[in-house]
Amino acid sequence: MNGAPAPSPATGVVHRITADDLPAVVAGHALLSSGGGGIDGLTLSVAELLRRHGPVELVPLDALPPETHCAAVGLAGGFAPLLELPPGGDESVLAVRALEERTGNRLGAVVALNSAGPNALFPIAAAASLGLPLVDCDGMGRILPLINMTTYALGGLSATPLAAVSQTGETAVLDCSTARSDRLLRGIVEASGGAMLCALYPTTVGRLRGVAIEGATSRVMRVGELLTGENRHAGLLAGLARTVGARVLASGQVTALDLPTPSAGARHFPSVPTSIVVSDPSGDGPVVRLEAQNEILLALIDGAVTAAVPDVLCLLDRQRLQPVSLENVALADHVDVLVVPAAPMWHTPQGLAMAGPRAFGFPVRHPAEEVSR
Amino acid sequence: MSAQRVTGQLTVAQLIRFGPLGSARCYSEAHLERLVTGVTLVSDLDEARQCEPKTAMVVHPVAAHGVWALEAALRCAWERNAACVVAPDSVMVRASTTQLAERLRLPLLTVADPARIALDMAVAIADTEAARARLISRCAVLFGERFSLRGIVGVINAEVPGVIAALVTKDGHLLAGRAAADTFPPDGPNAPGEDAATGGASAFAEDAAEEHRLAVAVPSADGRAWATLVARVSAPGPSWTETVETILRLARAPLASAGAGSRLSLAHQGSRDRLLMETLLGEGPTVQGRRLLPSPRAGASHGAESAVGAEELARDAGWPIDGRLVAVHLRPLQPDRDLEAASPAITAAWREDLAEAPLVPLANGWATWYTGEDAHPRAVERNVRRRLASSRIPLPLCAGVGTEGEGMAGLRRSLREAELAAGSAGGQGDQRVECYGELGPRAVLAALPVAERAVAARTLLAALLADPKAEVLLRTLTALLDCAGSTGQTATRLGVHRNTVLGRVERIRAKGIDLDSPDQRLALHVACHALLATGEARDSGRPARPR
Repeated sequence: MNGAPAPSPATGVVHRITADDLPAVVAGHALLSSGGGGIDGLTLSVAELLRRHGPVELVPLDALPPETHCAAVGLAGGFAPLLELPPGGDESVLAVRALEERTGNRLGAVVALNSAGPNALFPIAAAASLGLPLVDCDGMGRILPLINMTTYALGGLSATPLAAVSQTGETAVLDCSTARSDRLLRGIVEASGGAMLCALYPTTVGRLRGVAIEGATSRVMRVGELLTGENRHAGLLAGLARTVGARVLASGQVTALDLPTPSAGARHFPSVPTSIVVSDPSGDGPVVRLEAQNEILLALIDGAVTAAVPDVLCLLDRQRLQPVSLENVALADHVDVLVVPAAPMWHTPQGLAMAGPRAFGFPVRHPAEEVSR
Repeated sequence: MSAQRVTGQLTVAQLIRFGPLGSARCYSEAHLERLVTGVTLVSDLDEARQCEPKTAMVVHPVAAHGVWALEAALRCAWERNAACVVAPDSVMVRASTTQLAERLRLPLLTVADPARIALDMAVAIADTEAARARLISRCAVLFGERFSLRGIVGVINAEVPGVIAALVTKDGHLLAGRAAADTFPPDGPNAPGEDAATGGASAFAEDAAEEHRLAVAVPSADGRAWATLVARVSAPGPSWTETVETILRLARAPLASAGAGSRLSLAHQGSRDRLLMETLLGEGPTVQGRRLLPSPRAGASHGAESAVGAEELARDAGWPIDGRLVAVHLRPLQPDRDLEAASPAITAAWREDLAEAPLVPLANGWATWYTGEDAHPRAVERNVRRRLASSRIPLPLCAGVGTEGEGMAGLRRSLREAELAAGSAGGQGDQRVECYGELGPRAVLAALPVAERAVAARTLLAALLADPKAEVLLRTLTALLDCAGSTGQTATRLGVHRNTVLGRVERIRAKGIDLDSPDQRLALHVACHALLATGEARDSGRPARPR
């Protein structure tokens, strides 16, 4: 095993993440995942790890030597199993150790697979358990359903070898092509209870430059601070526009919730499509239709595509000023439809081919493509 | 129809009504009048973006990924000015999609097999002639299945898109259909009915700003002019107008037959009612040896029994003859009118709801009665006045209202009173209604046969009536007699100077009328009233009619 170069954490630390930061992280990751809320058991578990191992240093990519070995950490599968059985806390150590064993490289830093949804917490837990710094970047900037839908893969990094650990400690190491990785992993995830913590995309800090979405974790925290601290509607929208470039696509009431049959292109995704209509109940005004598969993927105003994945689409409750998760959206909710633009590398032709609307079975162009036509 | 003629374009409504979209479910029914010039079958949304304007966008099932895709197609159709969107019915169209279609003012239809419909539509649009022939044949079949005026006109209104049709009489009375069809004056440039005697259809068209009016004269069964079938055609085109005209012509024979049938049935009903009424009133008392109402066909000897039997018959026929009632007698203002011919029209126009007593035709008019708690002469008078003012009554009528009665005996008495009151009302103009209860002793005069009195009076006062100012003189004479010979009171009543009255009296005396003889005064007074009641004085300038 190669000795990992000692990181120089003293320089350029963005923030030391403690248990007190977790509420902001939880609030922020909810917005960037189309409204999926936090899982209390997971939050408590990570808070306990932070108390036990001390704060996690959040460092920018540039602050670490380029040869530092690192790997992404994130949960693959569904988050529902976590509701039944919160993580024990040692899964990330087991996964990283298994990966280190396979690659022969000791990690010098932990990277987030995606800093949105509950997956924003696992890299923090891993960094705390391993005593390593957390690099302030991720590979999605949102939630995407497949582990190979990342800017890492877009930039040519290999997702494998990857190590996956189930909630009962069973460990699997996969060595295959990035394209096949999600397919194979999903079989194992299903057999081991529906969720596995993975250490994947083993690489070096130098190779991450240019392919990672930088500042992802700190962005989640800033959004979370806004959502927990701001109690004026206009102030919140202005703050979100400032920090993440969010804009209000439409406002209105939820007037219909449909469960359409999955379109042909979407059938290979582990999700059930939902269709939400936000409009003026009196019948005037535009009809805003949101097509969702776990996350909101497409927004049509009067039939015209106005926003699409990979940009983040989410609903904000106008009264409670909180993101509305797709599980909790109800008829007659007064909501703002927010769109948070994705990282620029997602808007490249290759990025849109990987995570644009067509990748989800919607034979439409992303608005960015329409503009460039 | 010649093949050379310019074929017009079909509208969405026409494709739905008699084209391949007949089986389609329509979600947004506004703007069905859009013209369809072709069909664009789209199998992905990029093709939808290239849809030709004014074509029907048919969304193939492979392009219908869900409701969102349908909405996206609607949007493309709107951007490309398509005529309508036809989608597969596998897509569940929800309220929000319908709302969007209405918002974009695009007809949205779903069908089971869009690909086949696209082919059929292309054929129909290419050969509009065949599609119109199908419409004509469908209407012809439906005309054959309807037996009422409303049913036949209803076929046109229901089946022919963009056309409002109505059947109106020569005088403009609406017989069937929708009044909106005939908002033009009936005596247009080519008055309907003029050609009916020759059996030819006088179809004519007037170009309004955007609408077109078609009219076809409908003869009665004996070939005389009877009514006009008018139609308003929105979105007219030469071939479409011709199609509608053909359909209107096809409707003429069924309408004539249905019209004759209904008139025959009304006349038949009238005769039966009259017979029953005459039997009911059979044993009623007479005045001056003359029955007030015509005698029953049955002999007088068994009149009482037949009346009892007739009461049963009347109850069976649904006549309300129990409890409180008030009778009404209607009579024409001109007694020489052909009542038999007018009867069906009057009966049909009078009836407002089926629960009330029938209007029974009699020798000199029509009788009916009101029952129930509201049967009070004043209320009845108001009601009768309102009905007489109705535009559906085809000839000028006046009416008399009897006093309240109970049961059959009360009805007989009330009917007699109503007839007397109607006689009194007769001389006083159109739509005049008199109540017997307010008539007082005048009823005695009214009971005298006015026509016969008038004949005698005309002989008696021939010299006066020959005067060019006969009416003025007659009114002055009547007023003078009413005022017991006082020229001052007469002047006040007529609103003229006393000297004028004196001058007229001199003129009257010059005609050989002795105002001072007591034995002549009553007869003279009665004669004056009779002449005024029959309106004779107004006719004085013309030659006397043969009697």
